[in-house]
Amino acid sequence: MISLRRLTKTYETAAGSFTALRDIELEIGGGEFVAIVGKSGSGKSTLLNMVGGIDRPSSGSVTVGGTPIQELNHNRLAAWRGRTVGFVFQFFQLLPTLTVAENVMLPMDFCGTVPAGQRLTRALDLLHRVDVGEQAGKLPSELSGGQQQRVAIARALANDPPLILADEPTGNLDSATGAAIFQLFGELARDGKTVVVVTHERDAAPALSRTVTIVDGRVA
Amino acid sequence: MIAPRWRKVLRDIGEAPVRSSLAVVAMAAGVFGLGTILTSYSILTRELEKTFADTRPASAILIVDNADDAVVASVRAVPGVLDAEARPIVRARVRVGKDEWAPLVLFVVPDFRDLRIDRFSRTEGAGPPGDDEVALERTALSVARAAIGDRITMRTADGVERPMRVAGTVHAAGLAPAWMDHVVSGFVTRRLASHIDAQAMSNQVRIIVKGNRLDERHIRDVADRVRKSLEAEGHKVTPVDVPAPGRHPHADQMDTFLFLLGAFGALTLVLSAVLVANMIHALLTEQVRQVGVMKAIGATTRQVVALYLGQVAILAVLSLCIGMPLAFSAGRGYGQFTASILNATISTAAVPLWVIATQIAVGIALPLLVALLPVYRASRITIHQAFSNDISGRAFGTRPFDRWLARLRLLPRPLMLSLRTTFHRRGRLVLAVSTLAVGGAAFISALNVSAEWTRIIAEDAVARRYDVYAVFSRPYPIAQIAAAVDKLSNITHAEYWSESAAIVAGPNGRETRIALVGLDPNTPLLRLPLLEGRWLNASDSDAVVINQNLLADAPWLHAGNRIALRVNGRPVSWNVVGVVKEMGAHQAVYANSADALRATGQAGDTARSVRVVTRAHDAKSQLAASRELERALQRDGIGVLLMQSLADGRKAFEDHLVIIKSALIFAAALVVLVGGLGLTSTLTLNVIERTRELGILGAIGATPRALSRYIVFEGVLMGLLSWCIAIVLAVPVTYFIGTVAGRMFHKTGLDFLMSPQAVITWFALVIILATLSSFYPAWRATRLSVREALAYA
Repeated sequence: MISLRRLTKTYETAAGSFTALRDIELEIGGGEFVAIVGKSGSGKSTLLNMVGGIDRPSSGSVTVGGTPIQELNHNRLAAWRGRTVGFVFQFFQLLPTLTVAENVMLPMDFCGTVPAGQRLTRALDLLHRVDVGEQAGKLPSELSGGQQQRVAIARALANDPPLILADEPTGNLDSATGAAIFQLFGELARDGKTVVVVTHERDAAPALSRTVTIVDGRVA
Repeated sequence: MIAPRWRKVLRDIGEAPVRSSLAVVAMAAGVFGLGTILTSYSILTRELEKTFADTRPASAILIVDNADDAVVASVRAVPGVLDAEARPIVRARVRVGKDEWAPLVLFVVPDFRDLRIDRFSRTEGAGPPGDDEVALERTALSVARAAIGDRITMRTADGVERPMRVAGTVHAAGLAPAWMDHVVSGFVTRRLASHIDAQAMSNQVRIIVKGNRLDERHIRDVADRVRKSLEAEGHKVTPVDVPAPGRHPHADQMDTFLFLLGAFGALTLVLSAVLVANMIHALLTEQVRQVGVMKAIGATTRQVVALYLGQVAILAVLSLCIGMPLAFSAGRGYGQFTASILNATISTAAVPLWVIATQIAVGIALPLLVALLPVYRASRITIHQAFSNDISGRAFGTRPFDRWLARLRLLPRPLMLSLRTTFHRRGRLVLAVSTLAVGGAAFISALNVSAEWTRIIAEDAVARRYDVYAVFSRPYPIAQIAAAVDKLSNITHAEYWSESAAIVAGPNGRETRIALVGLDPNTPLLRLPLLEGRWLNASDSDAVVINQNLLADAPWLHAGNRIALRVNGRPVSWNVVGVVKEMGAHQAVYANSADALRATGQAGDTARSVRVVTRAHDAKSQLAASRELERALQRDGIGVLLMQSLADGRKAFEDHLVIIKSALIFAAALVVLVGGLGLTSTLTLNVIERTRELGILGAIGATPRALSRYIVFEGVLMGLLSWCIAIVLAVPVTYFIGTVAGRMFHKTGLDFLMSPQAVITWFALVIILATLSSFYPAWRATRLSVREALAYA
């Protein structure tokens, strides 16, 4: 599913150049639930951004589902991302002015993957699946952190992408809620989704297929 | 069902009522400014044109030795003549006070029930005037100091007085308002005119040509045919006057006025565009993270662009809903006011469709156009940048200017923070400052141009060092005039000048009537500023100086060229040695007295006018002196055609400027309104943008009072910066407006003047505006709790 070859990412900053990732070689198969762990600043979030096409490599290649994504232009990358990747962020990043259901419908709206008449039904199905169906008509601000993260997962599933990427999804939640979220990711992996989660080691869950540790920009 | 993304747009607008309202108000201010100007412009151009066309203005005016019905019938029969009407004119004066007389022009109407040319309509009073009555132009009552039913006294140049009853008033849209020209116009019957000295009468026959009435050459051809036909019948025809086709007598003022409206309309449009750009910049800054989220979940750049352009369009439509009706009301009101100044009537104040369409198009297209680039840029932002807050471009300290600013230790640290923040966010600073700078430049320029007109009047007052002048009905021996003048103790100096009408023949048979003034070249009474060449010398025998009004009409008459004149039918040619600038619209040629008298064929010891210097020079003393002079001349049998004090002449010119100054004040007020709204909205948006920063300041100990002080400081700092830029910007704007408006109205570009008063006034205004505009944002800043501010994303 995911193939990283000699992946390097260097940032130019006012203080000089900084290499976040060096010669990463990594293979992740379909349906795997992989945790990327490492200390702060190790480069794990950068790695996730490369896989999701949020950032571009300085050198090397990123192939996802057979698509070399570094070769896609801006617009094709956006379209590819909409259909292939579902993102979950640490701070949920729900749009504050849309209701929970509308937040979930938004990706379908952008990508046109689901006929307009069926979008609400699908959104409600997904919300029920992540146990927040009752909250569909509420605004994000009315939900708890755990509920918001479940909505974010439902949104990530909106276009039925084969790949779910989550950047410290439990970093802003208490441990019980975090465990429930990891359990939800495990269920998704069992359903055939490839799930890649950036997390600290303490978050490691039993449902994980494996753990990839990043130290100073390299796979340890 | 509305798609979620469009629901996001609507809710974003609703969820941030302050920001949305500010954006709408700022855009509405632009729509209002432009709309007001377009509305008044369109109504005025249409209605003035219609009002004037409805009078059936004469194509040409011929002065014939006789203007009876047979002559008119004969003229009507000339090929190319559509219609003709006799409209003799009597130039006399009307008593407006004890020994105080105002110029009077009486139009003799053969048949009040069959007005064919230069028509007028009854406004008040009974039907047509009787044989001892006059119908005054509606604007003339106040100048004549009379009311309907009053008896007024007319005095012809031969000194004969005749009472007339004011039967009523009429509206003659083809005439300038009496209060502006300080001339009383009235309409009388032939029978009344038959009792008036024939010398005072000008037997005018007015014609309207067939075919293209706007083609001056065609009109001249037909008028020439009429002249030849009348001459063949044995009549004597003196000059043929062809008024500029389709042009109202005060078209120059109208053009200047409309140009000023147009120029300031364009400036308001620029101001509005900058305001809109500011709003959109602020809006997008707040939405960067959401752009990142939308892109992360699959939105393409195009979709994001469409989303935010949609938002801008909705705000623009809302602003149109507010700005347009207000603009229509204000534009109509201002149109009515201006029409009354120009003696026109607004028959319908309907706003033309093109104005509505332009407002809608500009009101929507301009924000979209201005938004396009920033929206596209914001939509191109990568998800990585959006989430890492890496959108401000270069960090503070990477530019030399930042480092210089960082070394400054002039102000307390919190104020230094405000200063550095102001300069760090350059995009925002540039937009905020340019909004005010454009407004300031427009304001300063309006006041500069207005001040230059005032300066011209003051300059003319310095150039004319006499207090009262009188023009006689015919040349009188200087000894006779001097005998009358010398008896007056209040007069310290008098000069006797010759004045006569002359004709400058131009190409295509065009003739321009001018005043030939003969004077002592060393006179201390006239020091007109030179535009070209030199003033007259006592040794000149073949030299004249012309004024800028004549040069504008006869552009070949530069210094060094020869001028060909016809004086009393005799040709004469002189060398133009200079061009002077003077106030007023009259065209004049100045020559040495002896030369002028020779050209007119008058005796060397005669004069047609007197200019006197009085002991005191204030308006009251001038009026008293003119009364004394009037009595003295009357006593000695000298027929007076015109008596005017200099204060009165200046007042007449000032009254001509009323419309232009009103346009400038109107434009300046509009700019202050739009600029003030712009600054308030900009500062408020700045505070919104900096919510988190203010929260941090609060967390580390800044009191609400201190926070509000920083906001006000920033506002004033931006105001000061904009003031400096406004002064620089005002230079080309003033120059452009002054040049064009001056050429239209004064026949020469206005000198550039940077009025200290304008600069200081804008300085005070900008500080007041900046302080007032900071109040709401400062208050908002003090209301923020630290927790809310830090949670603000």
